[in-house]
Amino acid sequence: MSRLLKHESILAILTVLALAILAMQSDKFFTTDNLLNQGRLMSEVGLVALAMTFVIVTGGIDLSVGSILGLTAILLGVFWKNVGLPLPVAIGLAVACGSLAGFVNGLIITRFRVPPLIATLATLALYRGLAEGISEARSVRGYPEWFFFLGQGDILGIPVQLCLLVIAAITAGVILARTPFGRATYAIGANETAAHFSGIRVNATKLWIYTAAGFLASIAAVIFVSRVTTTRSDMGTGLELDVITGVVLGGTSIFGGKGTIIGTALGLILIQALKNGLSLSGVKGDGTIVVIGVVLIVAILASAIFDRNKGG
Amino acid sequence: MTDVVMSSRGLQRSSLRRFVGNYGQELVVLLTIVLLFVVVGSYNPRFLSETNMNSIFSGNAYIAVAAIGMSLVIISGHIDVSVGSMIGVIATMAGTLAVSGYPVWVAWLVPVVFSVVVNASVGALVAYMRIPSIVVTLGMLSVLKGGLISATGGAWITDMPPAFMISQWRIFGIGTPVYFMVVLTLLAALYMRFSGFGRSIYAVGGNMEAARAAGLNPERTVVGVFALHGLFAGLAGLLFATQLQVIQSTVPPNLELTVITASVIGGVSILGGTGTVIGSTFAAILFATIGSALIFLNVSAYWLRSVLGLMILATVLVDMIRRRRST
Amino acid sequence: MKKLIVAMTMGLGLLSSTALAQSAWTGGDDQPTSPLACDATPAVAVAKPYDGGEPAGAPDRAGKKITVVDVPKLIGIGYFNATTKGILDAAAELGNVDAKTDGPTKANIDEQITFLDNYITSGVDGILFAANDPVAIAPVLKKALSKGINVVGYDANSTPDARQWFVNQAEFNGIAKSLVDNLAKEIGEDGAFAIVTSTFTTPNQARWIAEMGAYAANCHPKMKWLETVEAQEDNTLSFNQATTLINKYGDELKGIVGMTSVATPASAEAVTQAKLCGKVAVVGLATPNAMKPYVKADCVKSVVLWNPVDLGYAAMHVLRAVADGTLKAGATSVKAGKLGDLQVINGSEILLGAPYTFTKENIDGFDF
Repeated sequence: MSRLLKHESILAILTVLALAILAMQSDKFFTTDNLLNQGRLMSEVGLVALAMTFVIVTGGIDLSVGSILGLTAILLGVFWKNVGLPLPVAIGLAVACGSLAGFVNGLIITRFRVPPLIATLATLALYRGLAEGISEARSVRGYPEWFFFLGQGDILGIPVQLCLLVIAAITAGVILARTPFGRATYAIGANETAAHFSGIRVNATKLWIYTAAGFLASIAAVIFVSRVTTTRSDMGTGLELDVITGVVLGGTSIFGGKGTIIGTALGLILIQALKNGLSLSGVKGDGTIVVIGVVLIVAILASAIFDRNKGG
Repeated sequence: MTDVVMSSRGLQRSSLRRFVGNYGQELVVLLTIVLLFVVVGSYNPRFLSETNMNSIFSGNAYIAVAAIGMSLVIISGHIDVSVGSMIGVIATMAGTLAVSGYPVWVAWLVPVVFSVVVNASVGALVAYMRIPSIVVTLGMLSVLKGGLISATGGAWITDMPPAFMISQWRIFGIGTPVYFMVVLTLLAALYMRFSGFGRSIYAVGGNMEAARAAGLNPERTVVGVFALHGLFAGLAGLLFATQLQVIQSTVPPNLELTVITASVIGGVSILGGTGTVIGSTFAAILFATIGSALIFLNVSAYWLRSVLGLMILATVLVDMIRRRRST
Repeated sequence: MKKLIVAMTMGLGLLSSTALAQSAWTGGDDQPTSPLACDATPAVAVAKPYDGGEPAGAPDRAGKKITVVDVPKLIGIGYFNATTKGILDAAAELGNVDAKTDGPTKANIDEQITFLDNYITSGVDGILFAANDPVAIAPVLKKALSKGINVVGYDANSTPDARQWFVNQAEFNGIAKSLVDNLAKEIGEDGAFAIVTSTFTTPNQARWIAEMGAYAANCHPKMKWLETVEAQEDNTLSFNQATTLINKYGDELKGIVGMTSVATPASAEAVTQAKLCGKVAVVGLATPNAMKPYVKADCVKSVVLWNPVDLGYAAMHVLRAVADGTLKAGATSVKAGKLGDLQVINGSEILLGAPYTFTKENIDGFDF
């Protein structure tokens, strides 16, 4: 247990350090307004990262989450405007389709034994292609006002999607750390064959996890559409890289078997803080990209060094 | 899993079956290319014209060259998601040197050396510090991309001296990139098959500890693989830089995905230990052919990407089915 | 073996079915068009009441130093490098403006919104933008207005109520007319042409193409449109697509129209490398620097563009005037430094002027 928390402790220290430095660089950084706003902006990546943590802990990966987001966004618009369904039904149906997309990923990986990297590389293209094809480049706009509450509203001063994210994070954290499902996830990542022989239903677990990734990506899509009031087929491009960077930074091992939701949360907070804080201190976009890359390498390096010294 | 495949290979009787079993994926890709040529060629004969063939082969050779290096990395059990950014940096470096008055050979050599050194360092981090390659290269991707924009502001480089423009020369009517692609692929394939280092790459990728027990030095092998990969990426970058009169000092979008997909479709297993560079070259050609074919076939532009995704999926599924039948 | 054959046939069937499935994609959008007259009759300026947004509680910035951020669609292409130059030139001229350009490295609305949001938080006085999507950018721009920040757009508009003014380089139908007329001059009234554009989802390009279609149908009805291909904003992809078009249509293709400052030089390069200069015309929107080699080689006769440096320059001056309070709702013109008086059209748009045609004679006089 203490070994598991070593990386998270380093990360926590790094995060606090970064927050402190950034707060010193700009007085607009550490205000309630700004912090809440950043929470709002990171909700989409955050939700998907929760599921991605499970995926990577099992030793897999999902590169198609960005495309699922785009596809769900398009379907939302199509179901509401072109098919004419009432908006809540359209939302539900779109989310169902997004989850189905995740389920299909899981099927390809478990039933056909295609390695996750390749399977989701193919579905990355396929789902994005479906989004482009179905939408024919038309955007859907003109949603009713109440819909914007999800992406732009507040509950007791806290952005709606941030509340959702916190609830989801706590749920995910409890599932991963304390339930048999969570233990099965770790077991699969550590040694899949052994997990199978100890009675864990490996395929079913994986199917659930990939479906969850699709589900959360589609929820993120609904939030995003609500935030920007329109749909585009290129929404979510590049999301997978942001999510994976956050999860990996958080200490989840790409080989599987290791990782926590707390780590993912810290990783995401650190990256969001950097993106925002650096911009406020006057660093331009390209500089921020470099810093994030360096932080990733340094953080993992530091963690690797400390792990080795512990006698791994 | 590799062990199971290898033992079943020994059981197959005729050498033809063995050949198909070993190189099945490469054959599938080759067959698909031929099929496309036949189908699209009969739909619109201009598809088979000399200019179009040259566009497909010469214009995309750099992807095949980059895929050679990527295949080596994947066979050794690792991956590099920063290759697209690296090629962008190499191209810009080469172009900048060329227009700044340096001798042409300097403009060719320096970026390639840069690529080799940087990639070898990445390999060292991966091998000695045991950091997963996907993490290091994910970080590298950001550093290179951001660094490139910072340094150049995306300014376009024009007016490069003709002596510099490798990709524009033609020998016997075929563009130089094609020669690069063919020669490099053959050299790499022979090297992987017959040289000690080549075989050690397979061994390390298949089972690192077994390789160590057999007397190999996995860490040195991995650094060497990444260095080689840097060499191929460097050459690919030069080919890429000299294709057009202008170099856009930005990172070509989606290049790393294309290169990785080419390696994987070509038969290199993401699990490491198997695959050939010939397969990845075939796959790179396949992608280029598909790209051209879809336009010739009047496939609606809206559905291009879905068709591509479906074809990747189909190829992979076929490969998986084939592997299951042979185990 | 059987499964192999099945998979192959499936793939083939899929290919052929999609081939026949969709209606041809022109690249245009489905909004109403208003083509200009076929001769040189200028467009009638429509007077509309002011429909721009208003900042809430903006402090008095008259004469004071202001910080301005410019967030274009993306950074790293010649066109926006040029608008940045114009903005910085104007800032230097005005003397009391601190301006910088920052933006995403891909033309992506998600990232652009994040950039804008960060700058709103950092408390800039003014925002200049070129939108990747007119509706998606509106919420964050309205947020800026609500914080008292002055917002002016250029090149690519947002919904009118999300910004105070929009500097329009030229009317959509004006650009369409220039392009199509130039094309007709070079390929003849019954020539066939193809279009290389950026992506399906770029609003400006879609508008231009729709207007081009309407104008050509009226005034050059015998010209044949062959195909539109998308090429993102990538040089290599544009080149490959243009080359494939040349290979596909052979002699039938007489002209290529490039809809972005990346597509046009790449198409010219494709024509040059295919040794078809003079046989296939290349017409399009591009910056002069990128086109100099081709125009000098007589491969491209004319390049249509407005002056993006002037566009950025005008936008900066408009923002300063708005911050100072000298440009108010209902104004009919605004003074923009060395550009003189610019006309207000469509309620809250400021027209830069007529599109400019760069030719072999004048192209050396420009450096952007």
